[in-house]
Amino acid sequence: MMGMVGITLEEITKKFGNFTALNKINLKIEDKEFMALLGPSGSGKSTLLYTIAGIYKPSSGKIYFNDKDVTETPPKDRNVGLVFQNWALYPHMRVFKNIAFPLELKKSSRNEIEKKVREVAKMLHIDHLLDRYPWQLSGGQQQRVAIARALVKEPDVLLLDEPLSNLDALLRLEVRAELKRLQKELGITTIYVTHDQAEALAMADRIAIIREGKILQVGDPDEVYYKPMYKFVAGFLGSPPMNFIHAEVEGGNIRIYQSKISVPKQYREIIKRLEITEVLFGFRPHDAEIIRGEREGIKGEVYSFEPLGREQIVTIAVNSDVFVKVFAPEGEHFSFGEKVTIVPNEERVILFDKKTEKALEYFP
Amino acid sequence: MRDVETRPRRNEWFIIAAIILVSLPLILGFFLLILSSFSEDMITNLSPSSFRPTIENWINVFQGKLAITGGIRQNILKITFNTLIVALGVSGIVTLISTLAGYSLSRMKFQGRKLMMLLLLMLHAFPGVALIVGVYLFYRLTFPQDPSMVRLYSFFYVVLARAALEIPMSVWLMKGFFDTIPWEFEWSGIIDGASRIKVWWKIMLPLIKPGILAVALFGFLAGWQDLIYVRTFLIDKTLATFIEANIEAEYSHMPLIAAAGTLYLLPTIIFFLTAQQLLLQGYSGGIKG
Repeated sequence: MMGMVGITLEEITKKFGNFTALNKINLKIEDKEFMALLGPSGSGKSTLLYTIAGIYKPSSGKIYFNDKDVTETPPKDRNVGLVFQNWALYPHMRVFKNIAFPLELKKSSRNEIEKKVREVAKMLHIDHLLDRYPWQLSGGQQQRVAIARALVKEPDVLLLDEPLSNLDALLRLEVRAELKRLQKELGITTIYVTHDQAEALAMADRIAIIREGKILQVGDPDEVYYKPMYKFVAGFLGSPPMNFIHAEVEGGNIRIYQSKISVPKQYREIIKRLEITEVLFGFRPHDAEIIRGEREGIKGEVYSFEPLGREQIVTIAVNSDVFVKVFAPEGEHFSFGEKVTIVPNEERVILFDKKTEKALEYFP
Repeated sequence: MRDVETRPRRNEWFIIAAIILVSLPLILGFFLLILSSFSEDMITNLSPSSFRPTIENWINVFQGKLAITGGIRQNILKITFNTLIVALGVSGIVTLISTLAGYSLSRMKFQGRKLMMLLLLMLHAFPGVALIVGVYLFYRLTFPQDPSMVRLYSFFYVVLARAALEIPMSVWLMKGFFDTIPWEFEWSGIIDGASRIKVWWKIMLPLIKPGILAVALFGFLAGWQDLIYVRTFLIDKTLATFIEANIEAEYSHMPLIAAAGTLYLLPTIIFFLTAQQLLLQGYSGGIKG
């Protein structure tokens, strides 16, 4: 029922006065793709979404829907549906009227409006709420109405601006799965803005990580999670975040404070080639083992211990002010001050250049 | 233990007493006025013996008899109607202009926007009386040549001039209301295919209904109560100028003027009693939903 639409962004720059919100963004979103724009607040991800919608005009650069240049096209002619963070439901209109509003503006016939509104309401399970006012609905219901309003005009592109952030945590998990299923069923090109890395990983086909108006990395969830290009990407994805420790390269070894471990296999060539002496040693809390006592690995002292049911987080002081978090296996308990050794899974270690904070394997 | 919100404040009785004390002279004044309109003589003290009830004053007012003796008659219904025209005219113009101007000052970027807002504030600071010479000059300059048009023109002019006095404040008030509406409402409408003016009409205006009502009411009361502008420009009489003209006339019968005065006060009383809640909501300027 919807046309094929891929989106191409070419060198999009957006300035507000002296502030550069978007800096030469290049991005290609395929037809039917679910793309997440992930970044901390103020990174420009919402600005990018609004630029695609046509609410903001880029200061320079071009936007294409398929091969058509829509940079100068007003929002209403782009045929996009947008769900806002606060949903922006019109409080003075009943749910039916809210959903019907885009169709009324299109001057659709009354029969058609009636049919389409009921159809989309049924799809989102809100057909029993059509006579209510938005303030009579729960957060989850309001959110469905907002999505229904965006979908009713059968847009080519669905744009979602943190649509789940106003829901409570449990409901968010439920809607997350449902929204992903809906997107696949409708086969509608979707761009999803979020600051929640779990949401992006769970829902998106591909994720673009944005910081300070620049795209740092684009890739599918596995790619950005396991092969982060920058320290920022590695630290932003996953919870708790990846551990980073300053380390020095000494021949075939890496010195981490008082400990010495050998350079991971996959990095031996690269380090030699780049002649790097200082690196950031990165590994995820899941990807390391804690062994009591002193062994070969990163030595430290248990600083804190948090049992969380199935998993337990151990915070270990590697140096007086350097801490790392590692998951301990179920049932194993550690006491404060205990001497331990961290043995990172060699294959999962990622080394970053200290100055550029870029992962070494991405160096040319 | 009661909730914080419902716990009585320690000084509440003191505040209530102070409010009553301060408003007592006003309440007493209005009370005596209304009472006098139903009495054969003016009541100037609180002795019950001076109150001799009658509704003759009201009958006379509606018949337009100004004095108990003599044949001076004025059509009070016509005068009330004139007052209504002026009041509704001012209210309409003020509402239309302030909702449009408030929207553009709140939502659109254009050259001189800041300057315009400053000038509006300054204009608001000017009392209408101070401007009246210039306003009168302009009145004379634009006076129609055709004598049959003069009456009509004087209505038109007084409405416009009086509305102009109200507009600066109202525009600021409306701008404040528009400022409280998140941009998303507007963007949502625009993406769904509405023009700016349609967004204004279909989404923004319904969201700030309390504000519109407040501005319309203040406009209405301003037109209804105005004396100086009406007296200067309007050929016909309104209730205000009617009372003013008769209060010192030789033939005036004061209880009858009291009845006219009560009639004159009626809209104010009704509006503030019925719209109190709305006006308060209007001042706090929030939207629910």
